Amino acid sequence: MTAWINGQAVVRDEAVAAAAALLAGARSPVFAGLCAETAAVQAAFDLARVIGASLDPVAGSSLYADLGALASGGAMTTTPAEARGRADLVLALGAAPWASDIVTELAAEGPVRGRAAGRSRTLLALGGGGDGAVQHIAYPAGEAGLAAAIGLLRGLVAGRIAGPHPLADLAARLREALYGVVLYDPAEIGALGAEMLNGLVKDLNETTRCFALPLGDPYQGRAVAQVAAWSTGQGPRVGYGRGHPEHDPWRFDAERQAAAGEVDAALWLASLPAPLPTWIRTVPTVALLGEPKGDEARVVIGVGVPGEALGAALWHPRRAAIAWQEPRQEPRQEPQQDPQREPGSPLPGISPAAAILAELQARLAASPAPHPERASC
Amino acid sequence: MSTLTLREAPPERLDLTGLDPARLAGLSEAEAARLAVGTSRRGLTLGDCFAISLDGSDCLRILGATDRLDRVGAGLAAGRIVVEGDVGQRLGAGMRGGTLTVSGSAGPFAGTAATGGTIRIAGDAAGSAGGAVHGAAAGLDGATLVIGGSAGDRLGDRMRAGLIVAKRAGVHAGARMIAGTIVADEIGDYPGYGMRRGTLVAARHGALLPTFVETGRQDLVVLRLLAKSLQALAPEAAALLRAPLRRYSGDLATLGKGELFAPVG
Repeated sequence: MTAWINGQAVVRDEAVAAAAALLAGARSPVFAGLCAETAAVQAAFDLARVIGASLDPVAGSSLYADLGALASGGAMTTTPAEARGRADLVLALGAAPWASDIVTELAAEGPVRGRAAGRSRTLLALGGGGDGAVQHIAYPAGEAGLAAAIGLLRGLVAGRIAGPHPLADLAARLREALYGVVLYDPAEIGALGAEMLNGLVKDLNETTRCFALPLGDPYQGRAVAQVAAWSTGQGPRVGYGRGHPEHDPWRFDAERQAAAGEVDAALWLASLPAPLPTWIRTVPTVALLGEPKGDEARVVIGVGVPGEALGAALWHPRRAAIAWQEPRQEPRQEPQQDPQREPGSPLPGISPAAAILAELQARLAASPAPHPERASC
Repeated sequence: MSTLTLREAPPERLDLTGLDPARLAGLSEAEAARLAVGTSRRGLTLGDCFAISLDGSDCLRILGATDRLDRVGAGLAAGRIVVEGDVGQRLGAGMRGGTLTVSGSAGPFAGTAATGGTIRIAGDAAGSAGGAVHGAAAGLDGATLVIGGSAGDRLGDRMRAGLIVAKRAGVHAGARMIAGTIVADEIGDYPGYGMRRGTLVAARHGALLPTFVETGRQDLVVLRLLAKSLQALAPEAAALLRAPLRRYSGDLATLGKGELFAPVG
């Protein structure tokens, strides 16, 4: 079984009909999670436009720490692949980079391309550090924290703060590097820290080369940001309540909306694993899940896992781009390729989330009241 | 005096952009009732949510307001809006003149991009009061914002001009300030993060950033002038400015032409 209503297994079409009914009557539905292949995320944006929903990816808060800084002052970034090829200096900020594989990969070799080719690669840590397996020089962030240390480093690099200082050596190394890379997790350093970091990187580019390298979130957030950009020209926290996409990172924060009682229905899309928020339990929700148990929400529909059951466009962390990923097994038959199917009959196999969303859109667009009747306050 | 009375708590956020005395003066009550204020596909209008009484005057009262009313007084150019109750986000956004008063508390981004006029919030203000919204060039931009209670984090974030007076503020007050003045009784940790120019004055403050340096006790004429200009608006803030003050310069992470004044002692 791949579909459930109130925890009871049902045929898939019954669940899709229940999902459509749940969303059709909603005043302010929210589509959250969005931890899925780009086709499914695109289908979610398309459906949101039809029914006036808002959207918020599970990666929202960490994504917006970076998007806020990008929107405020721009950024100069590189990719992990370029960093491996070119960097003679890597500065890891905080603890998060040391929990990823990228530090180990960067430590394993030196630059082979560009102006730093043939040099050795120096690994530095500010406000964090490894367990000794990777050789690096560690600098303390100080009691004011990482964001304050980034600001201090920027002041030292620009020469606005002079004299002996624990971070003066780090500032000198950044200035002397031919191709520096600063690794960071936007969620860890926060929006203000990320903006300061981008300022530091831009200052360094007055005299040498240096780039920021944000660690991606594990929930397809970077891909969602791109789908949102090409669909709406804005970030992913948009609402279609008034027909056009309104971008408002505060208003369309799904957790805030749920806590404030502003949403009356939700669609949780996670064809890839993502932590279910607790508010799902309090809002009537349709969940499209790659690994369903059946009791996660009022209506649960199992969908194909991208990169396993089906080939899909997914975020490729190393290239820092959306890339095609082949399935690990033969793709199953997709439902929309089967127009002869009898209505109500169970479908063979598991559908991609995009197909379920397209079916929901077809049902909701055809419903007699796409814009429910007005009611007074 | 024209009056809008909210009938009951709205089932969705409402957007009151442009509902100011000048615009309502040109409308009959029936026409005003048809103005769109809803933010969902239900298309709620002013008449769906409010009892409307218009007399063409330059003063508008909004009664029974709740924190779901966004952009109250946004774009106000002249006249007076008096709100009884709370308001949601972006109170007085882009306001150019006139006065706007709220008897309760305000949501985030109060006074964002406001270039003129005076906003008074009797209660508290949430985060980024006088601050910039996502990607915006500036927060408060010339208007005066007075907060009777506590402001949240990032008070005056990226403000470019104008004056903010608050009782208390959270962390990162005056973050990314481009210019302008913030006076508060008490501000939290790490004020002025990334500020380029501008002036912060606080009777008490939390931990300072390592990129702020003390530049000694100052007796500046400009502070006495500021005290004089504040006397009518906020006498307590004016008294603070007449006390002997120590000056810190920052944020040296950026331009470093900002300053924080705190009492000597």
